[in-house]
Amino acid sequence: MAHFDETELSKLAKLCRIECSEEEKKNFYSSLLRILDYVDQLKEVDTERVAPCDRILETLSNVMREDVVGETLSRETFLSNAPAHVGGMVRVPPVIKI
Amino acid sequence: MYRLSATALRELFFKGEVSASAIAETFLKRIGKHDPKIGAFLSLFSDRLMDKAWQLDQKRQKGQPLGKLAGVPVALKDNMLVKGQITTCGSRFLENYRAVFDATVTRLLEEEDALIIGKTNLDEFAMGSSTENSAYQLTKNPWNLQCVPGGSSGGSAAAVAARLCPLALGSDTGGSIRQPAALCGVAGFKPTYGRVSRYGLVAFASSFDQIGPFSTNVADTALIMEVLGKHCPHDSTSLDLPPEPYLQKIDHDIRGSTIGVPWDFLENLDPAAKENFLSAIEVFKKLGARIIDVNLELLKYSIAIYYILATAEASTNLARFDGIRYGKRSQRAATLDEVYDFSRQEGFGPEVKNRILLGTYVLSSGYQDAYYKKAQKARTLIIDLFKKAFSSCQMIAMPCSPFPAFPLGSIHDPLQMYLQDVYTIQANLAGLPAISIPSGFNQEKKPYGLQLVGPQMHDVQVLRFAHAFEKACDFSKAIPPLFDEEVNL
Repeated sequence: MAHFDETELSKLAKLCRIECSEEEKKNFYSSLLRILDYVDQLKEVDTERVAPCDRILETLSNVMREDVVGETLSRETFLSNAPAHVGGMVRVPPVIKI
Repeated sequence: MYRLSATALRELFFKGEVSASAIAETFLKRIGKHDPKIGAFLSLFSDRLMDKAWQLDQKRQKGQPLGKLAGVPVALKDNMLVKGQITTCGSRFLENYRAVFDATVTRLLEEEDALIIGKTNLDEFAMGSSTENSAYQLTKNPWNLQCVPGGSSGGSAAAVAARLCPLALGSDTGGSIRQPAALCGVAGFKPTYGRVSRYGLVAFASSFDQIGPFSTNVADTALIMEVLGKHCPHDSTSLDLPPEPYLQKIDHDIRGSTIGVPWDFLENLDPAAKENFLSAIEVFKKLGARIIDVNLELLKYSIAIYYILATAEASTNLARFDGIRYGKRSQRAATLDEVYDFSRQEGFGPEVKNRILLGTYVLSSGYQDAYYKKAQKARTLIIDLFKKAFSSCQMIAMPCSPFPAFPLGSIHDPLQMYLQDVYTIQANLAGLPAISIPSGFNQEKKPYGLQLVGPQMHDVQVLRFAHAFEKACDFSKAIPPLFDEEVNL
């Protein structure tokens, strides 16, 4: 995997929204390299005229329902697991500078 | 009582020879005494359980109709929701997460009067093959306390093996029911993709995940499948098929049937494991089955395909853990971005991060075609390969795991751990029903598992072959000596 260097790992961690220490980055980098190296063997498989698998069972299809309001969680129940809430709403740090 | 199968236990309850309260109490006591040795349970529902048992006793006294699992204790892997109870997924991220609804499997079990006894340990978000990735505790193999129980449903497998409950549920994404079942010497069944609703199961890789049972024998697997195998409108992949009378159908002669064995693929199997597998094949020959060679050489790419697709799906599924609506929120975070970045840093363990990174990488622009799309195409080939193989046989037999239970802490390298799934991953790639059943022991008295893989939708057929094998050479009554008091006395 010549295209993948350690600086790219920082970018990748950012995409994943996971903060990593320098040591963690080193560990993840070496582990990822080994796995990418392993999965490279897939190149041997001829998939020239093969369609990508988009369903496991032939019988699977989209399931639709009428667009009507059904039974949902109450606000109180929903907020019971929220790390922070105020006035019946989830609280997050400010995202707009005033 | 602990030696009884689920089927036998419910008969006793039906006949009024034992009360649900006495059953619940017996198993709670057993867990109290024996679980500290193996660490199978993350939480117990003691009060809730005794209430349910009391209600069930009332129901029976009043002569009301009783469910199929009346009086049978069942444990759930801690990635399935029971309303009002903590569901950790083995992760610090969900340490305090209290489920706000019941999973469909929870509802179905309780509709049939099962006694849900508690939640079992697992690899964090079901990612692992030894249960060592749990953020909470190690689970030990009841046959050898120095060894892993397998994973990721290691807690459920160990609990059933130690007879701490006759039935437990697990989830199987790449072998997470069958491999621990093999390592712990119990039956573990992964049904056809879509057979059991996943509503209320915390998603790992949605095109692979399937819930299934652990039991001490195949009849119990059939019994609980009658309860679980139902269509559910809350899971869009749920199969809309008429209910199967599994129990009635499993006792059936397999004489004249054909079993395929992928000899090519088994070339590198460890000699002792191979010997065990060959003796299992001999049993099938004696039962009148014809054994043929099926060419599944392409299966050697299964792990590569799986770890691209499953991590890709996991990276998407686990994006929901953002520290906003539920679960962990980092105390250090001062900005919204830091809420995401720090909460995920603190909440996830190394293997989960590893897989999110890999999954994001294979989906990222510039690499998607080379990895993700390539693997999807190869998955098509695997599905077609099985279709072709099942045109010449009714069942495929394989070992379940390349080795019996390995010592705790002996595998550090993620790739080495992934290779433990070499014989189980195919069934998930192709959505096939597959079971692991005990097939004997090695010299150190560690269990082996035989795996039977059937065509899609033929769950009954898999159980039928497994049942025939079990009748011919019954390892289902072997109980780990440390957990068999009647022997110790």
